[in-house]
Amino acid sequence: MSTAVSETLRPSYRAAAVTAAAVLALYVVTLAPTTAMWDASEYITAAYTLGIPHPPGNPLFVLLGRVASLIPVGNVAYRVNLLAAVSSALAAGIWFLVAERVLAQWIEVKWVRRTGAVLAALLSATAFTVWNQSVVNEKVYTVSLAFFAVVSWLTVLWCDDPDGRRADRILILIAYLIGLGYTNHPAGFLVGPAVATAVLVRRPGTLLRWRLILAAVVALGFGLTPFALEPIRAAHHPALNEGDPTGCKDKIGFACTFSDTTVHRLMANVNREQYGKPDLSERQAPFSAQMGMWWLYFKWQWLRDPHGDAPGPMQDVLALLFLSLGIAGGVVHYKRDRASFWFFGPLIGTVTVALVYYMNFKYGASQSPELAGVPREVRDRDYFYLWSFSAWSVWAALGLVAVWRSLAERVGPTPRWSTTAPVLLLGAIPLVGNFRAASRAGDWATREWARDILNSVEPYGILITGGDNDTFPLWYAQEVEGVRPDVTVAVTSLLNTDWYMRGLLRRPAVKYDSAAGPAVYRGRSWPVPTKPILSLTPEQLSQVPEYLDVREPLRFDQGDIHAVIDPRRLEEGVPLRSDLLVLQMLKDNIGQRPVYISRSTAGYAQALGLDAYALTQGLATKISSTPVASSNDTVAVPGFGHIDVARGLALWKSYGAPAAIMRRGDWVDRPSAGIPALYTVTALGLGQALEQQGRAGDAQSIRKQGLDVAEGARITDWFVGAVPPSPAPAAGSDAPRGTTVPARP
Amino acid sequence: MPRSAFGASRRALVLRLAAMLVILVGFLDLARGGIVLAPLALVVGYLVLAPLSLFID
Repeated sequence: MSTAVSETLRPSYRAAAVTAAAVLALYVVTLAPTTAMWDASEYITAAYTLGIPHPPGNPLFVLLGRVASLIPVGNVAYRVNLLAAVSSALAAGIWFLVAERVLAQWIEVKWVRRTGAVLAALLSATAFTVWNQSVVNEKVYTVSLAFFAVVSWLTVLWCDDPDGRRADRILILIAYLIGLGYTNHPAGFLVGPAVATAVLVRRPGTLLRWRLILAAVVALGFGLTPFALEPIRAAHHPALNEGDPTGCKDKIGFACTFSDTTVHRLMANVNREQYGKPDLSERQAPFSAQMGMWWLYFKWQWLRDPHGDAPGPMQDVLALLFLSLGIAGGVVHYKRDRASFWFFGPLIGTVTVALVYYMNFKYGASQSPELAGVPREVRDRDYFYLWSFSAWSVWAALGLVAVWRSLAERVGPTPRWSTTAPVLLLGAIPLVGNFRAASRAGDWATREWARDILNSVEPYGILITGGDNDTFPLWYAQEVEGVRPDVTVAVTSLLNTDWYMRGLLRRPAVKYDSAAGPAVYRGRSWPVPTKPILSLTPEQLSQVPEYLDVREPLRFDQGDIHAVIDPRRLEEGVPLRSDLLVLQMLKDNIGQRPVYISRSTAGYAQALGLDAYALTQGLATKISSTPVASSNDTVAVPGFGHIDVARGLALWKSYGAPAAIMRRGDWVDRPSAGIPALYTVTALGLGQALEQQGRAGDAQSIRKQGLDVAEGARITDWFVGAVPPSPAPAAGSDAPRGTTVPARP
Repeated sequence: MPRSAFGASRRALVLRLAAMLVILVGFLDLARGGIVLAPLALVVGYLVLAPLSLFID
């Protein structure tokens, strides 16, 4: 390598660091101040409690998150959100280096190379999903992105000089980081095929050096050892202990930690057995539709337009533009820097086409809304393609530089870079176009929702919930912020697993703090429960079947409750283990402690045949031990059932989410918009009850507040017409493996 | 000729030993129930010392 070339190839580490710092500043300005919907609360809670989130358990993330949560800045959620921001900013800085490295092969002017590199960092940082996932720790994917970027840079360095003094060390380090990245998320392995391709193309003989390969395998294995955190930590039974990967029942011990039970449970967690996705040959949607989902999300990256506000086909035009720029960038990359291309090209192929095939998703939540009745994902899965969009942005930047160069060379005999630089403004489109939708600054709605629903439950109550959005934020509120820990939250989607109920029974009773609770519960004494929420022994619990294969109506009798359960009204058409355990909870607790069903479950009380015993109190439905009768304060409202008006009004006044939703003025994630809708439905129901009581003024006032929430969330069109609709399903669930119920004969 | 993967320098070996020790301390504290020292030690061990020990000459 000549001195001149080597000077050109010298990486601008300082400029990359400055770029990363600028990206971090953008993320901090738009950072969520607290938790958010879906998995954000679960991961923040796991980090804070050093617990175990859903399989595979993400031990490296938990460690990083726990360390982040110790940093004395802002609240705990903010600190963990900062981890996402720092991870993505680090990736942006490294994409700067990668882009600069490619540009060094065909652009002689230093400032032009650096401008192109900044462009790569800017585009990758402001692509919608990357940005939106970097300003709240909703998933572990930003940490994975940082690993991808670091491995990419190391591979570029190796490709530069595969026979150099440090080449072997770099490969061993890459192997170690791939293993370590896997303990953050299995996606850590996705970078492997690209590394292997680069090695095969650049120096295939490397794969025959058995001592080096052995060292790499050992390093990779060592990188996987953070998984040991799971059984060790699980044995201490932290508040969040998904999968319960330990054989230790009471306390940690050598024998139980190294038992078959521990190994079996740990492997079940690591292999995500809980989810049991179908074989890849069994497509959940046509592959063309799955690629269509990727394309839908690709379009979001350059202009996120959740409400179709942008004029005409602007989003499509921009998507085609950035697709074309990316293809042009890929061609330039291939022609100018073949060595790194054979890493980066396969990487993009792996995290795009191969990942689409592997994930085998159903139709996307927002995809092809005109197709009624097709199986759909519960939420939009754009975050799974964050790596794809981030890497594609690097190519799009290279393509834009190619356009710039072409223009600069046409203007004069020597390239007029400055004159033609305005074309680079195309690179600022995602920054401008996504700012409003990607930013989570000042968004307190989820945290307030968690407080509101917990406060809808009387002291020491049991709250049955349905999925992610009516459960994880509650875990966060209870375990991180200490809000209403006296309430026992039981989520039906996890009651079908064996480990969840063990954890619930282990959960210590916490004394209700009247001063911290809502005013409506003050001035009364609330009996402290003395028994666990279920009377079943662990042996009896293990014998509860996965489902009852009955299709005829079932009777449920307990005291004065005489309910008839029509299995056809249940989600799977038969009573599942979760339904049986909920009924057992009712049996064991009705009359002893309050039992509620979250209204976000969209009629679960009715599905259990409990209509006559259901009393709406704010955001939750209390199951009464006797049939609910109308009275001065209890009003039967058509379409709602009985509403406790006084309690509902008092709770409504204490709710914080309505104001938070209105302040935000948007609800970008449409699949979770059932949560703001639930507030509107609650207000409309209360308004109807007040109307029936002859309180027209109060009725009008609360209806207006409810519709203001709908306007704040931009779901007013859901409430067109005077009749309040039935509560919308709001829970949303990435449910564990659905019980395999035989088809109806 | 590329330098052997096993021809680590004394400095690299010391770093590898330090990484192992810090990680061991982290797991021991974790087993004890620690939730402050353990994550700090494990993060430093896995993400700072171990990579450095593999990269450094």
